[in-house]
Amino acid sequence: MASTTVTPGRTVRKVQPIPQTRNRLELGLWLFMRYSGLALVFLALSHFWMQHVLIGTHEIEFAGTQLRWGITGQPVTVEQVIWRTYYAVMLVLAVAHGINGVRQVAYDYFGHRPAVYKGLMYVVVGIAALISLGGIAALFMGAAAGSGEAALR
Amino acid sequence: MLSPLITTARESLRYKGSGHILWLLHRITGLGVVIFLGTHIFGMSMASFNPPLHEAMLAVYKTPLFSVGEIVLAACLIFHAVNGTRIAILELRPSLWDKQEVATRWSVIITLILLAPTIAIMAFKSISYYVTHGIK
Repeated sequence: MASTTVTPGRTVRKVQPIPQTRNRLELGLWLFMRYSGLALVFLALSHFWMQHVLIGTHEIEFAGTQLRWGITGQPVTVEQVIWRTYYAVMLVLAVAHGINGVRQVAYDYFGHRPAVYKGLMYVVVGIAALISLGGIAALFMGAAAGSGEAALR
Repeated sequence: MLSPLITTARESLRYKGSGHILWLLHRITGLGVVIFLGTHIFGMSMASFNPPLHEAMLAVYKTPLFSVGEIVLAACLIFHAVNGTRIAILELRPSLWDKQEVATRWSVIITLILLAPTIAIMAFKSISYYVTHGIK
């Protein structure tokens, strides 16, 4: 509880900033949204400007992905490890940031109906987990060998 | 069940000024980005699991409808990034809490400064592609 002590001439307010255990997770997530958001400003904007603006979406080919990720079963270069790490960090931060954002919006509109809110979040987290596990697995494996390779030669 | 949404839609437009409108836009753009994020991660992971499906996705990326959607995505992403930076900086620095109004204005100005050349380049590249390659 916040308490206020009044002494002549000044007011000292003592605030206990962190309520006990139940809301520790909320505080952690609140901080996570700020710090992951700041990291994603650089990660997501650099990615978007690089691929969609500088290179241009119309110039993106499968071969480019094979170059950056490397190909499944073939030796991996240092550059490819750096690219994969960049995408993996961005993927994890973006998915977590996105799920928590959706959770806050869902709570605002459906929080008064716990069954709807919970059901919605199970669906969202389930789909997000499947998609991002697939994404991480793809980054570990590298791109498939295939039609795109012809364009490399 | 939808009444909170309807109330939000109606009250959002007349509640409390620029900060509130940016709050609403932050939500809408965030949801827009998260929907694309899901499909994008799925489509890119197919570069590993299903190359033909991945190339089908790349072909969809090169259609006019997607190009228009991509410009909307650019607007959502850049606004969300700039406005999110404002939120993070202001909330983590209580000494700046009397600067809210200036900050919301700069949020809009910086978004527009970053967005204008981005849209210009994307639109130019898209149009020149469709002029030379035709629409498939």
